[in-house]
Amino acid sequence: MIFNSLIFVVFFVVVLILHAMPFPWRAKKVNLLIASYIFYAAWNPPFVILLWLSTVIDWFAARGLAQADREWKRRAWMLLSVVVSLGILSYFKYGHFLVENFVHLAGLAGLKYSPPQSNIVLPVGISFYTFATMSYTLDIYLRRAKPANNFLDYALFVTFFPHLVAGPIMRPTELVPQFATPRKATADQLRFGLALMTLGLFEKAVLADGFLAPVVEKIFDGKAAPGFVDAWVATLGFSAQIFCDFAGYSITAIGAALCLGFALSDNFRFPYAAIGFTDFWRRWHITLSAWLRDYVYIPLGGNRHGDARTYFSLMATMVIGGLWHGASWTFVVWGGLHGFYLAVERLLRKQFTWYRPGRIAGAALGLLTFILVNIAWVFFRAKSFHQAALILGSMFGRNMHAAPVLPAIYLLTTMVIVGGLVLAHCSMRNLTLEAAITHVHPAVLSALWTVMAFAVVIEHGESNGFIYFQF
Amino acid sequence: MVSSISSSEEIDTQTIRHTLPSGLRLTAANRPGIAQPVPERDIPDQPWRVITLVVAILVTLLTSAWEWKMRTLELIPGDLGGGYDRWAELRREVDKRDVPVAIIGDSRILFDTDLGRAEQLTSVRPLQLAIAGGSGLPVLENMADDPHFKGLAIVGMAEVAYFETQYATVRPQKAIELSRWESPSKRGSFLIQQVLSHGLAMLDDNYRLSMLVFRLDRGWRPGVKGPYDEPWKTQETAPGGQTWIWRRLEHDRRLSGHTSYVWHEFFLPNPLDDESIKTVFVRTKIAVNKIRARGGDVVFVRPPSAHNLRTVEDKHLSRARGWDALLAYTQTKGIHIDDLPTVQNLTLPEESHLTHACATVFTDAYIRALAHRTPLLHLKPDAPPTLSTQDCVQQSIASSK
Repeated sequence: MIFNSLIFVVFFVVVLILHAMPFPWRAKKVNLLIASYIFYAAWNPPFVILLWLSTVIDWFAARGLAQADREWKRRAWMLLSVVVSLGILSYFKYGHFLVENFVHLAGLAGLKYSPPQSNIVLPVGISFYTFATMSYTLDIYLRRAKPANNFLDYALFVTFFPHLVAGPIMRPTELVPQFATPRKATADQLRFGLALMTLGLFEKAVLADGFLAPVVEKIFDGKAAPGFVDAWVATLGFSAQIFCDFAGYSITAIGAALCLGFALSDNFRFPYAAIGFTDFWRRWHITLSAWLRDYVYIPLGGNRHGDARTYFSLMATMVIGGLWHGASWTFVVWGGLHGFYLAVERLLRKQFTWYRPGRIAGAALGLLTFILVNIAWVFFRAKSFHQAALILGSMFGRNMHAAPVLPAIYLLTTMVIVGGLVLAHCSMRNLTLEAAITHVHPAVLSALWTVMAFAVVIEHGESNGFIYFQF
Repeated sequence: MVSSISSSEEIDTQTIRHTLPSGLRLTAANRPGIAQPVPERDIPDQPWRVITLVVAILVTLLTSAWEWKMRTLELIPGDLGGGYDRWAELRREVDKRDVPVAIIGDSRILFDTDLGRAEQLTSVRPLQLAIAGGSGLPVLENMADDPHFKGLAIVGMAEVAYFETQYATVRPQKAIELSRWESPSKRGSFLIQQVLSHGLAMLDDNYRLSMLVFRLDRGWRPGVKGPYDEPWKTQETAPGGQTWIWRRLEHDRRLSGHTSYVWHEFFLPNPLDDESIKTVFVRTKIAVNKIRARGGDVVFVRPPSAHNLRTVEDKHLSRARGWDALLAYTQTKGIHIDDLPTVQNLTLPEESHLTHACATVFTDAYIRALAHRTPLLHLKPDAPPTLSTQDCVQQSIASSK
């Protein structure tokens, strides 16, 4: 089920009503758990079994881990959890990719190998809930947390529908304690939660799907080489589209959870106002970058074992991060490019420790960051290296005389949205959304909320899946 | 903390918190390598009760005004549009029950068929499976591969769509894919939309916000065609699949003129080569044979198009090379508009599709003619009297006055 669908509206109203009933807390949690399974099954019912499997395996692995009296036993339980979780993820997400690459390599070695046809369906949100269950066993292994008291709380942590299929990627210590005591939203939490959901749906349904997707598709799904303007506008459009799509999902998820009285983690903090790439990754998909930092970068050695190891850890983490997004070499290059950006930034910071940018230099560095992030997005969106090269070539002036492709209205709307987004990010760069809202006059706030809600109503249209569902 | 899960690093996070500027809060990005605590979600200090009330009232008022405006534009409640969900739901009928007659094809046979009239004549209401903007061939092949279908397939033919094996197959293939598997979530949303659309006219995809904004551009950038140059709303569809040309096109000259202009842009005279034509013949014959092997049959119908458009279509593929040759190759029967003398000069507001009234007349003519050509279609003894061009052209003139 996706947030921008009519069925979700009905589902959410029913869940809210059930949650407001005077049932015992345990019954309410059972309701939420069942609702979360329905939420997931509404996409493809059989795949709920996979979700159960992932949940049960990590539950028992964590229990075994906690009860183990020897270090090797702890390690064995942890490895069991990691291997099974990553095994399931690899089969469903990377099966095709691995076979394709094996066939290609065999071909290079002169061997002709024809694998049997397979039709593996990628379960929606598998990368998100696999990372959530893994963090449970890994936190217990790293002695950062103890196992949950009961299976219901743990299962609800994995399955809780607002974050289930596209995050924010929650850690057990963030969510399990919230299930321990009865939770019910206050009236203001409910109202603010609805306001956040409106904002998220506005970003997704109106901006990302309504205004930006057609522009991006026209260039990135086309065959002809676009001109300079078209290539840049489509790439900038994609940077806005993916933000509105994913941040829109996150903010809707946070709002939905808040309506039920729960708190989810921040996942975005105005990333297009970032100055530098360390700053960007502290603002973009925060829960994923923090997960990769805690469970990949630090275990690989982090920055405590010399420069060479640090750069290796950085690059390996970002490449894995790229691969997490999709089983394609274009995602690997996207991750590698960000790893390279981070490495260069780190090198420069070490060389110029004395340097503190002023306002103008800060703005220039912010602009440079934004441009380089956009260049990386080309690999993220393009379906092949050929297409990426075509678009990048156009962005760097190789097809100055190409026939125009995008209508003027596409250029205009995209630039208005991108400009508005960047300005909004810059103006709120050192604030939370809540702090920014506090300073807005109630009349202005009412007008903004009205405009967004009305735009969502009159945009309607086919409900498109969120881009991050495929990850 | 009641739960046994707890953070052991809260002191560290408190330390970090003091270094943050006011208005910010910690995120996982600020807490490397430690257990992440329960997130904080503060509620901004605002009069939320009043704000929510104001927003609810304003959104209701604006939505009501919008609905009124959409109705003045002649959008109507109950119009389900031409989405894939609706088609997929109809296609699944074939698996659930015995379907004696199914209509396949493009927008012409879709808009130009009055299912009620067909039922009055034969007691059988055909299952409408034509898709606007799509070739009938992929759907014919799909039906041929479905052992449940043992009836009569009436295939509508606009040569530019039927013989086009690239772009015109995209929509049918998407629709077929959805009929094979549609998530419970998507089906549920469609059911809710069906219920809502009975009371709301504004749910039309062609009049959603982004589309209206995009259509403001009437060629601002030289050499580029955009949404303005694509077909706007052309159809209205009732539950059960009855589809007509959008009623506003019958009297709004500006709108029908625009649609007509778009058709001429689309239907460029681009002569087809013999190999492409032969491929379509072969694929059609295979499908026909499969359906016949189960006791069913396939017949073809060529609905009318206005003289100007027909000239362009004939340059693309003449009747002799397309229609006649296809029927001969596949050994099938068909009704061509040219062979129906009583229903010539029907009203085509935008040159490609008939008015409501003329669709009824055309349906009357082609169903009667087919009943003489195939044993799978029988005219009722008490069928209503025959209609002719005068029955709708006079009406059209009267309604436009």
